[in-house]
Amino acid sequence: MKNGHGDTTDFSIIFFLCSWGPHAAFQALQDSATQIPSEIKMVRIPCSGRISKALLFKPFEMGADGVALAGCETGTCRYGTGTSTAEKNVEHTRAMLNLLGLGENRLHLKTFMPEDSEGLLQFLGGFCDEIKDMGKSPVVPSPEAKAPSEGVELTKEVVAAHDIYACQDCGKCSSACPLTLVGKPFSPRAIASNIISGNVDSAEVKKDVWSCLACGLCYDRCPSAVNFPEFIKDMRHILKEGGSRDYLAHGGFFQSLMRTMTQKELRVNHWDWLPADIEQDTESKTMFFGGCAPYFDIFFSGFLGVRTSDILVDSLRLLNFFDISPLLLQSERCCGHDLLWSGDKENFLKLARLNVDAIQESGVEELITACPECYRTFTHDYPTEGVKVNFKVTHIFDLLEDEISKGAVGFKPFDRRMTFQDPCRLSRLENRSELPRKLIDRLKPVEFREMQDRAGGAICCGNSAWTGCDSYSKALQVKRIRQAQSTGSDLLVTACPKCQIHLQCAMEDPFLGEELEMDIMDLTSILAKTINWE
Amino acid sequence: MTQTKEQTPRQEITITGFGGQGIVLAGRILGKAAVLGDHKQSTLVQSYGPEARGGACSAQVIISEGTIHYPYVRHPDILVSMSQTGFDKFIGQLKEGGTVLIDQDLVQPRGLEGDVFPIPATRIAEELGRKMMANIIMFGFFTVITRAVSMEAALDSVVGSVPKGTEEMNKKAFDKGCDYGVALLKSWEKKAKGREGA
Ligand code: SF4
Ligand code: SF4
Ligand code: SF4
Repeated sequence: MKNGHGDTTDFSIIFFLCSWGPHAAFQALQDSATQIPSEIKMVRIPCSGRISKALLFKPFEMGADGVALAGCETGTCRYGTGTSTAEKNVEHTRAMLNLLGLGENRLHLKTFMPEDSEGLLQFLGGFCDEIKDMGKSPVVPSPEAKAPSEGVELTKEVVAAHDIYACQDCGKCSSACPLTLVGKPFSPRAIASNIISGNVDSAEVKKDVWSCLACGLCYDRCPSAVNFPEFIKDMRHILKEGGSRDYLAHGGFFQSLMRTMTQKELRVNHWDWLPADIEQDTESKTMFFGGCAPYFDIFFSGFLGVRTSDILVDSLRLLNFFDISPLLLQSERCCGHDLLWSGDKENFLKLARLNVDAIQESGVEELITACPECYRTFTHDYPTEGVKVNFKVTHIFDLLEDEISKGAVGFKPFDRRMTFQDPCRLSRLENRSELPRKLIDRLKPVEFREMQDRAGGAICCGNSAWTGCDSYSKALQVKRIRQAQSTGSDLLVTACPKCQIHLQCAMEDPFLGEELEMDIMDLTSILAKTINWE
Repeated sequence: MTQTKEQTPRQEITITGFGGQGIVLAGRILGKAAVLGDHKQSTLVQSYGPEARGGACSAQVIISEGTIHYPYVRHPDILVSMSQTGFDKFIGQLKEGGTVLIDQDLVQPRGLEGDVFPIPATRIAEELGRKMMANIIMFGFFTVITRAVSMEAALDSVVGSVPKGTEEMNKKAFDKGCDYGVALLKSWEKKAKGREGA
């Protein structure tokens, strides 16, 4: 697909065609030499249910103007559940297209019986007309991967930059690494020594670089201050530049989504779904930056039932409580955290610049966020990667602590026993584990008990930046949930939308099942539910 | 003459507490703010007695745009209480509809109808690490609630009246009191609208 800007006749529509019913219908058209619209690019697939959200979305990232998925009528699916799976996938992806500003009608699912070639032809013609009415997609595909660069040379630079040579081979990192500890054949020390001795190209290293959680526990313990997370971040970039494969969770859906957001022309509808009673002010000097929670909720809606956008709503309610009506940026895009941490610096920078430009243009002086990743990315990674930020960035916990300590504010009793999962970006990378605890101390739960591994030494929720998720990630999560349960608590308090998603994911385990179930709630939501004027 | 006097905006304030709380200093800071900052007239009468040894003590301040002929406060418009004994002793003198400010941890406003403005001044001072600064916190609170002196005059007076080297700390204490006052007023306003929670 090439950039079709200005060229209004050059439409591309990807047509995923199930090999059974619909394909028979399609073949009949071909046999009778019927003219099929030239915009339609057919991709034959074994079953509509196998086209995941990542696959449904990928063509849009690559610049397609529309995607159609043809399956068998419910009840005639050869594999039983194909059509119903396809329905869900399409429904969620359509909702995602709305948020992104591409519009849900660029994606359709239709089912056909084998003899319905007339219906199929009508559908294709109608869909082409619909897409032409909507116009071309504003998405311009990213250029193809570059020719492999000099990985070894670059690696040497990175090794020097992060002082990996200082490694004493002591192994403290591996004895702290949560992945090593759950039994994964993985060791930061081994990665370091492999890379130092020039084995960057070994398959083992290439895979391990994607497994690391970038949680920073090893960095904490390392006597030589080898900054493993930063090193891994750069290594992923080098490997990607060099054209070697990445290991992404969910078929790379989220990275695909985030890359699509780098299109300036996209009319993103980030806040359309917000409850009407939230007070916002387009003139405000304070902006609330929400992050990707709304996308996460759509993606996981059929599966985990997470509601991480509640964190955004409750944050806004808390701001309103203190008479702050913030400005909300309708064109808000992902902060780029996950692209940066999955080796795509180029697109990370595009997102960073789009966000910073839009924020600065709105004239705000302060940006508030409740997401530890957005916070870390704005305060640390933007400036480090050369994107200047001329507004103040504040984590909502700081703002709340400030406002509450002015007085006349109290908290209603909260009838739960709680424990707390530290978000690695805030508690370890930013070294602010005291901050959520100050707020927790103000709450009135039945009891608050810390887990065995906590604060700066807490264990990861099992995944970061949607990379390298596997059965060891699951083992890690199970371990963490058991730690939480053994505090005697009935509520696991989190402070990051992803901790909530990943830990809940482990609770869906079909074998361990109910044994792992535990309620999860974000700290902002508890604050919003129990805060009151005295 | 009498007529002019009645028209002159004039406020009488009694500050009470026990010895060692800096009650008299608070009175002096208030008077200085009125005179030096707001260019009004002001008098201060301090009453010690057995109070000086930790019993009740009080400062009586009058602020007026005209001349003050008699410096004693008989019926205060504003009563600030930082001890129960002080409260009990002076509450009977309060002018009808007068304003009462108390340290909520030290004073039970018994037998009082109408609004009382409470602040845990001593507790906040302890959190700041200086129990002695409760009076300055109370003064910040007083300034926001009563507007008897302007904000600027009040802060200047605090800075100019405390021992050298403690200005920053006292400024912080004053701000704490102000913040609390603003928060309390906001809290009441929200409650009146039935919007207690988030
Ligand atoms: S802890 Fe540091 S010095 Fe020790 S093996 Fe790991 S990277 Fe090397
Ligand atoms: S950053 Fe975390 S997951 Fe990665 S090697 Fe270090 S301890 Fe292990
Ligand atoms: S833990 Fe679950 S939700 Fe998180 S990346 Fe892995 S599979 Fe996805």
